[in-house]
Amino acid sequence: MSSQNYAHPESLVSTDWLAEHLTDPNVRIIESNEDVLLYDTGHIPGAVHVDWRRDLNDQTVRDYIDPEGFAKLAASIGITPDTTLIFYGDKSNWWSCYALWVFTLFGHKDMRILNGGRDKWIAEGRPVTKEKPQYPATKYPTPSGRKDSEIRAFQQDALAQSKAGKPLIDVRSPGEFKGEITHMPEYPQEGVLRGGHIPGAKSVPWKTAAKDDGTFKSADELRKIYVENLNFSPSDHTVVYCRIGERSSHTWFVLTKLLGFQDVLNYDGSWTEWGNTVRVPIQKP
Amino acid sequence: MNCGELDELGSVEVVDSTSVYPTGLQSIIDLFVSLPDEEKRETLISYAEQTGKWRPREGESFDLEDIRKDEECADTVGVFLKVSEGDKVRFRITLGPQVQTLTKAMTSILCRGLEGATLPEVLELPSDFVPKIIGAELVRARSHTVYYVLTRMKGICTVFRNRKRAAES
Repeated sequence: MSSQNYAHPESLVSTDWLAEHLTDPNVRIIESNEDVLLYDTGHIPGAVHVDWRRDLNDQTVRDYIDPEGFAKLAASIGITPDTTLIFYGDKSNWWSCYALWVFTLFGHKDMRILNGGRDKWIAEGRPVTKEKPQYPATKYPTPSGRKDSEIRAFQQDALAQSKAGKPLIDVRSPGEFKGEITHMPEYPQEGVLRGGHIPGAKSVPWKTAAKDDGTFKSADELRKIYVENLNFSPSDHTVVYCRIGERSSHTWFVLTKLLGFQDVLNYDGSWTEWGNTVRVPIQKP
Repeated sequence: MNCGELDELGSVEVVDSTSVYPTGLQSIIDLFVSLPDEEKRETLISYAEQTGKWRPREGESFDLEDIRKDEECADTVGVFLKVSEGDKVRFRITLGPQVQTLTKAMTSILCRGLEGATLPEVLELPSDFVPKIIGAELVRARSHTVYYVLTRMKGICTVFRNRKRAAES
C-alpha cells in the first residue's frame, strides 16, 4: 500500500495541487492556527482566517457555535455547501484538523487538509501575502443540526468507553499521559489540577502519525502503527482525546480519513475537563 | 500603526503619576489602550517584526546572559542584561523561530518599554499590563507564553540582584 492508498485520498492535497488552485473560484483556502497572530504576518494568497476560539467556539459556553452561528461564519467567508475547503495551519496542522472536524459537525462535505500545512508551504518558498481577501457574502443554509453524536464524545461517553474497556486513545505526550507533567511540553500550565490519563487509555502521541516535516505518514506506515502494532480496528467504536481537542483532531483525521475507521469520536473536553472533574477516576502508570 | 510612528509618539507623555509601570512602558500601554482592536493587532504585528532590533549588537557587553530552551516555551530564548549606573537596565533578547508572534511582539514591547528602567522597577513590575496591551480577545489558552519573556527578564534581574548582594555582604 503506498501513500496513494489512503482510505479517502481526496481528503489531502499537496502544496503543488494548491498552488495550481489558488484562484479556483470553487476552492476556499482556510488558515487555522494556534499562533493567534500568525495569519496576519502573512498567509497563502486568497486564504481566509478561521480562528478556533473566536470563530468556532461559543463565547459564553464551553461548546461550539450552533448551526446558525456556523451558517453566519460560512456566509462571511463566502462559501456555499458546494465549495471545496482546503484547511491548513501551523503546528503540523493541529488546528486545521480541528477546524475541519468542527466543520464536519455541521455537515460540510468537501473538505481537505494541505499536507504539511503552513510550514511546508513556506519552506518551499511559495508565495505569502498580508493582503486579506474579501469575498462576497453568501447565503449558506443553516444546517439542520450539529452532528455531535456522530463524531464527538462527551465526558460520559469517554467514561463509558473506559468502563467498557473499549478503544480509548490518548494522543498527548508521554509525560502528560504518565502524569509527570500537567502542561504540554513547551507550553505553560493551562490549569489542570491532576495529571495522568483516563483509565484504560492507550498512549499514542499525535506525532506518531506525522513525519518531521509535518506531512502525514504513508498509508502503509499508519496501518502498521495503528492496526497491526496497536490492534485498533477500523470497525471499533473509538474515542480519542488530548487536552482541548486539537491534537486529537489530528489523530481523528488520520483514523477516519486516512485509515478509514468508521466510528471515531473526538472527546474535545479532553484532559482539561477530565483532569479537573470531581469524582472522575484517573490512572497513572 | 508601525513602530516608526510609535517612535514619533515616543515623546508623548501620557503618564499617570501614580503609575506602577516604568515611563516607557506606560507610554506603550497608553497607546495600545487607545487603539481599536484592528489597529491593536496591526501594531502588535509591527512590534513582532521588530524583534531583530533587540538582539545583542556588535561590541555590546553584558553583565549576565541566560540562553535556554525551557519546557514552557516552544523555542530557545536568550536574555542578555546590562546594568549601568543607577541600576538602570538594558535588555537584549534572541528568540528561536518557533516562538509565537504574540510573544515576539511582547519581547519588543518590553525591551523598548523597559529601556532605562531601574532594576527594582523591573523586579516589581506587575504583569497586569499584558491584557491591556494585547486585548481581551487574545488572552486565551495557548497564548500564555506572552508572559514568558517578562518572567525571564525578571528572572535574570533577580539573579543579578542576588549576586550583587552576595558580593556586597
